[in-house]
This record gives sequence, C-alpha cells and structure tokens, in this order.
Amino acid sequence: MLDETLFSEDDIGQALTRLSGQLTTDYAGCAPVLVTVLRGGFMFLADLMRAVRLPLSVDFLAVSAYGPHAGDLGTVQVLKDLQELIAGRDVIVVEDIIDTGLTLNYLLELLRAGRPNSLSVCTLLDRSVRRIAQIDIEYTGFAIPDVFVVGYGLDYQQRFRELPYIAKVKIESSS
Amino acid sequence: MPRTNKFSHPSEAVCARILDFYRIPWEYEPTSFPIDWDAKGTIISSFRPDFYLPAQEQYIELTTMSQKLVTKKNRKVRRLRELYPHINIKIFYQRDLKNLLVKYGLCSEEAM
Repeated sequence: MLDETLFSEDDIGQALTRLSGQLTTDYAGCAPVLVTVLRGGFMFLADLMRAVRLPLSVDFLAVSAYGPHAGDLGTVQVLKDLQELIAGRDVIVVEDIIDTGLTLNYLLELLRAGRPNSLSVCTLLDRSVRRIAQIDIEYTGFAIPDVFVVGYGLDYQQRFRELPYIAKVKIESSS
Repeated sequence: MPRTNKFSHPSEAVCARILDFYRIPWEYEPTSFPIDWDAKGTIISSFRPDFYLPAQEQYIELTTMSQKLVTKKNRKVRRLRELYPHINIKIFYQRDLKNLLVKYGLCSEEAM
C-alpha cells in the first residue's frame, strides 16, 4: 500500500523554513492566532509554530466529515469550536492539505463571521486538481498532483499519520 | 435550491449530495452554451455543463466515461473556453471522481 516517498523530512524542513520565514516577515509586529482543523493538521502546526518567530496562540476546530452515511447527518457541522474569540485578531488557518476546498470554504465563512482583523490560509500541501471551492491560499508548502498521500499527520483510514515524511499510497478501490 | 432534479447519472447525484453537505449552492445544468454554428448561423452544437456553483462562479462537468471516450467532451470544453474565456469550468474525469469517492468513503457504495 505504501508507495514511494514524495517529500522527505529534509524537504518538509525546507518548506517549514520558507513558510515560517514568510509568516514571520508578513506578520511582524502582530500576534496571530494559528487555527488548525483536527486531526490532520496537528503535526504541521506543531512544527510551524516552533519555527515562526512571533508571539502567537493556537486554536483548534473539528468538523463532521462527509462519508457513506452523510445523508443522515444532513450538512457539515462544527464538532469542536474555537476556544478563543478571534474578533480583531490576525487569523492564519493552518492546513495539512487542501484538495476540494469544500471543508475549508465552510470554515472560512465561519471564521469570517468572527470578524477577525485578517484571515489567511497556510497549507503544507495543495492538491488543486481536485479543487471545487475556489479558495485564496496565501502560503503553500508544496503543490502536488492527484495522488493519495499519507504521513506527517495525514492518514489513510487512520493509518500512517506517524510517518515523519510524506509518501504516496496506492488505494485499491472496489469500483 | 430545488431538490427535484433528475440526474442523468448516479455520479451527479453523489456530487450534489457532497455539495449539499458542504452547503455549497449549486444549479444543475442551468446553462446551454452554443459552441458551433452552420453557415446560416444556426446553432448546430451546444454544451451544457453538469453543475454551476454560483458562489464560486464555476461550472463543473463530470465525466464517467472511460478516458478513451472523453476526447469529444474535451473538445467541447476547449471550444467553450475559446468562445467564452470568462467562463470558469472544471472537468472531473472518471479517475478524479473515483478519487473523490474514495476520499469521502463512497467508493464501495456508489456505482460509477
């Protein structure tokens, strides 16, 4: 199932250095709040926040995921809301991967309602080939093709999150 | 959003369900774009993308045909882009759709 390595630990480290440098420069004099969506983004957030040279805080969101029984669930719901108020704050949404953009589109609407001073998106991986909801992404680690990836917080059926690198994974679909 | 649409393929119904779940407004085949005319100016070919997402100002065309058979559809989309460069359209091919269905855990449930 696990295929070739797409991004090594060194590759990820270089991306972290670049992204944290950009954030440190762009948000100089600010104390942004980094918001990530559980569960995939926790590893990227942990490394990113240690590399950014700014006073900052973190917060977490969790939403219901679409799945085979989503018809019963109705629409996407917030399972865990922010604990901090973001009104007037500079908010950076930190994502592990953005592909369809559907979840993030919903979350950005939600966050805008909190009236932040600014709102931007930082993602480690951008799989734009699957994009449905158009989203402005200010900070991108890597653009990737239409492949399944795991590791560095990303899972396939809750496996492989612990890998320190990002690898392709071969999925055997049944249809 | 009306929910009485008659979809021409199960994959379109799945796509609509996913969009509904994420509260993305959509319209099903709302616009037919003329893409070819005869010498008299009569429309001889049109293209009607499957979905329009008004909030995104984006059309989506799904194709579940095998890759060998999508040439004709690709040509239509290319023609649409030539004639209507302001129109934002995205094609989801069979492989893209399967990947999406796997992502959302629908691959074993929905026939492609």
